[in-house]
Amino acid sequence: MTNEPIASAQPFVMDTAFWTATAIFIIAYAIIISEKVHKTVVAIFAASLMIVLKILEQHEAFHVEELGVDWNVIFLLISMMVIINLMRPSGIFEYIAIKSAKWGKGEPFRIMAIFAVVTAVLSALLDNVTTVLLITPVTVLIADALEIDPIPYLISCALASNIGGTATLIGDPPNIMIASKAYLTFMDFIYHLTPIIIVIMVIYILTIKLMWGRKLRTKDTLKKRIMEMDERGAIKDPVMLKKSLFVLALVLTGFVLHGMLHLQPATIALFGAGLLLLLSKTHEPHHILAEVEWPTIFFFIGLFIIVGGVVKVGLIKWMSIQLLDLTQGNMFATSMVVMWFSAFASAIVDNIPYVATMNPLVIDMAKQLWPNLSGLQLLHHPDLMPLWWSLALGACLGGNGSAIGASANVIVIGLSEKAGNKISFMKFMAYGMPIMIITVAISTIYVWLRYYIVRI
Amino acid sequence: MKAKDLMIPLQEYLTPDHTLKEAANLLRIARRGEEKVGVKALPVLDTKGKLIGILSIGDVLKAVYPKYLNLMDLGRFTWDGMVEAIAKKMADRKVIDFMTQMVITVKEDAPIMECIDYMLKHNVGRFPVLNKENKVIGILYERDVFYFITDAMQNSVELQDDE
Repeated sequence: MTNEPIASAQPFVMDTAFWTATAIFIIAYAIIISEKVHKTVVAIFAASLMIVLKILEQHEAFHVEELGVDWNVIFLLISMMVIINLMRPSGIFEYIAIKSAKWGKGEPFRIMAIFAVVTAVLSALLDNVTTVLLITPVTVLIADALEIDPIPYLISCALASNIGGTATLIGDPPNIMIASKAYLTFMDFIYHLTPIIIVIMVIYILTIKLMWGRKLRTKDTLKKRIMEMDERGAIKDPVMLKKSLFVLALVLTGFVLHGMLHLQPATIALFGAGLLLLLSKTHEPHHILAEVEWPTIFFFIGLFIIVGGVVKVGLIKWMSIQLLDLTQGNMFATSMVVMWFSAFASAIVDNIPYVATMNPLVIDMAKQLWPNLSGLQLLHHPDLMPLWWSLALGACLGGNGSAIGASANVIVIGLSEKAGNKISFMKFMAYGMPIMIITVAISTIYVWLRYYIVRI
Repeated sequence: MKAKDLMIPLQEYLTPDHTLKEAANLLRIARRGEEKVGVKALPVLDTKGKLIGILSIGDVLKAVYPKYLNLMDLGRFTWDGMVEAIAKKMADRKVIDFMTQMVITVKEDAPIMECIDYMLKHNVGRFPVLNKENKVIGILYERDVFYFITDAMQNSVELQDDE
């Protein structure tokens, strides 16, 4: 890192550039929220405006870490998508899902709880959208077999996915972005977030037991349908399965060790993607690469540039000063404001643009507090660390607050429509919002106890 | 030779308010030409005789097929009686919910090669033939195009024999 980051080198004046960048930022976010135009289209166009109108130089947008595209995030996402796309045809995910259902012995709530745990674990290791796409079709099938309403299963799957994704660096895009910006390692997330997510998952299971446990009833004859399914039939390509599991294990080990190895997570994931592509002996990588969710990738690219623009003109700095004024420099109060504001903001806005904005804001705030520090001393200041965790917990868990709060929710609602029983916005919120408030409340206690009372 | 020369003139058709049960029954007994019974698809016309869709036996299969199965390879994890149960549930639903709305059509004076072009590019086995007023006047079936081709082959053999 440079001693004097470019952002703070810019004079802070509310000139034409300031208002232009601010207008692009606000209008773009408003259109994204309104969903009138596809969010990726908005992000790309607004990003191009930032450069065309000379708010950012092209060089800054493409190559400067503080102002432009965070390639660490981009390559980590692309590489994980490639690995999963290569794994999918082996049938491993069908196998896991059917095995889980049988483990539940056809008992409706037991299956729901097991699916919630499996979804949470997979979401922690893969991205949430993929996990939900892989688990939900099976949950609907199982609900159909048991002749019970699939809706609770679908909602539970989305909620568990957002909770599980919070546990690790690679679990949810906000964490990937925070880790990259704050130079946090995979093990930092395991040490600081995984423990509380395990606690939250236990409480989540108890909560859904109260919400749905009694309503889920089935006949013994129907349970037999589940027990008669043979999960071994799901494995289509045992050779590719072994190769995939080998590479996935290698990548996860790489993530655990990346801090010690001095390799970025994106490097580890890219290596895994390259290796698995090689091992798959594919002669036609076209369809594997085409299945990468390019709209999501370009959404990130566009957002990084938009946010770079408002960082450069000083809007983010101005916002950080306002936040510090509000909390009068009290770090515990700041953590709490960040966590709860993030939770509600992420329930309304996509948490990706939100965190893209909050990351530089937290850094700017740190610069106000400790003007003499820079680099890791600044980013990893002991008083700043709880803020990163509060941001991650708030932004990830906040995704449960509404039907549009997280991509996993949107996928699940789309699927419920296909299953012939659409989950309405309000119905999702009726379950999602209480879960969000409970989980963020637990996180509040956790952050308070761990970082302000016990201080470990 | 044009589309209208090979098509089967319109006899039966469906309306959007037909139930799936009635429609499926019509598909089974509809006459295709003189003696062949049963068709793979029927056009759906509104009260003014305007073409609004086509219902094929594929659409009937889709009606009992849960869309989530399409997302993963789960077909083998289904159970006996599943199709029958969904079929019973769907029997009284309306044709309009299951018909294919994007219908490939040809004009009556379309050349046969244009018809083959559409059949191959859009992977359909039949389509409605429209007159100049955009009214459906018949259905052109893949099989009749096939007969036309085989006739041409027979003729070419005869020609070669003559030489």
